Amino acid sequence: MSIPFEIKFDENTYRHHVEGVTMVMHCHHYMSLTTKLADSLEDMGGVKILRESAEDAIRELLDAYFKAHNISGSGERLNTGREMYSVLGLGKLEVFGNDGGGEVKVLRSHVDEGWVQKFGKSSKFVNHFTCGYLAAMFAAAFGRPARSFNVYETASLAMGEPEGKIIVKAN
Amino acid sequence: MTVMRDKVVKALVELEVRGDENGLMPGYNVLVNFLPTSFWNTFAERMLNAAPADKKDQVRAGLYQCAQECGYHTGWGIINSDEFQSVVMPMVTEGAKDVLRGAFAVFTAWGWAKSGVVQIKDSERMVIRAQDYYEQDIKSTNEKMGFMVKAVSGAFFDLAFGAKYPDGLGTFVCEQTKGIEVGDEFGEFVVTKK
Repeated sequence: MSIPFEIKFDENTYRHHVEGVTMVMHCHHYMSLTTKLADSLEDMGGVKILRESAEDAIRELLDAYFKAHNISGSGERLNTGREMYSVLGLGKLEVFGNDGGGEVKVLRSHVDEGWVQKFGKSSKFVNHFTCGYLAAMFAAAFGRPARSFNVYETASLAMGEPEGKIIVKAN
Repeated sequence: MTVMRDKVVKALVELEVRGDENGLMPGYNVLVNFLPTSFWNTFAERMLNAAPADKKDQVRAGLYQCAQECGYHTGWGIINSDEFQSVVMPMVTEGAKDVLRGAFAVFTAWGWAKSGVVQIKDSERMVIRAQDYYEQDIKSTNEKMGFMVKAVSGAFFDLAFGAKYPDGLGTFVCEQTKGIEVGDEFGEFVVTKK
């Protein structure tokens, strides 16, 4: 069963909020081109900026959600983070892990599948957003500060493999 | 009758926003995601702040292009969607102008900006004003940061007055002339022929 998810609409600003966090809808064209922009500016740290922006934004959302719903156990927090990923339209994950890190199977992916729809199969890993998401999810689950986990892909739907695989390791 | 933004927003904002059994949100001919605005804002802000002087224009152009293609393809999906046909089209009496007004109402409903068309000259020029847009929260770059509103405005005008989809992208260009993020009362965006 999926998690409760209430979107509040501010009739003054016309913004959407989830547990006080401002949210917005975007499409796979925007995500794919943002990923490509980060890759093309890798010499100035574009991919790192994308991952850390994702980590910081998702951490804020998860912390707010855990507080509002009184979710305190690490296992429950990991599971909620996994469910939240699907609710946000990002895809479907299987997560195995503890405070030392873990392994994540990417069964469906907005980033990877959106990339393939827009550009065709990729020759390299492109799911930087999900790496940032998982860094936030593990850190939020185990009460650690930002940048506590290194996250990297070892298999990719965007590269044509049947499922993606992402490794999470505590620093 | 012309398109009434508030009525459209109220009708469309009630649509369910949630991934399906695969965790995906197909809709409007695209895959949709629903993320904190701080992700998009932080990415744009840190990229611009990290760029050396000779790369800042490349970053600005890249941010514009991301939003332009998003607006063009998603805009096409929006105006051809069942929701648009049922909610907006009954109010359309002025052809392309009203379709544009409806598209901006959907734009508002999606949380992109509280915005509306203040002037349209067919196939030539359009002025958009936004009283609230999430990119106004970016302050540290000390420059106008409404890439999303800017590029999507241009893309919507491409759809209305450019060559038939998908060949009209980039027919028009949009400049941001005012920004809440730089101290103006509202954001203003002016679309003209490229």
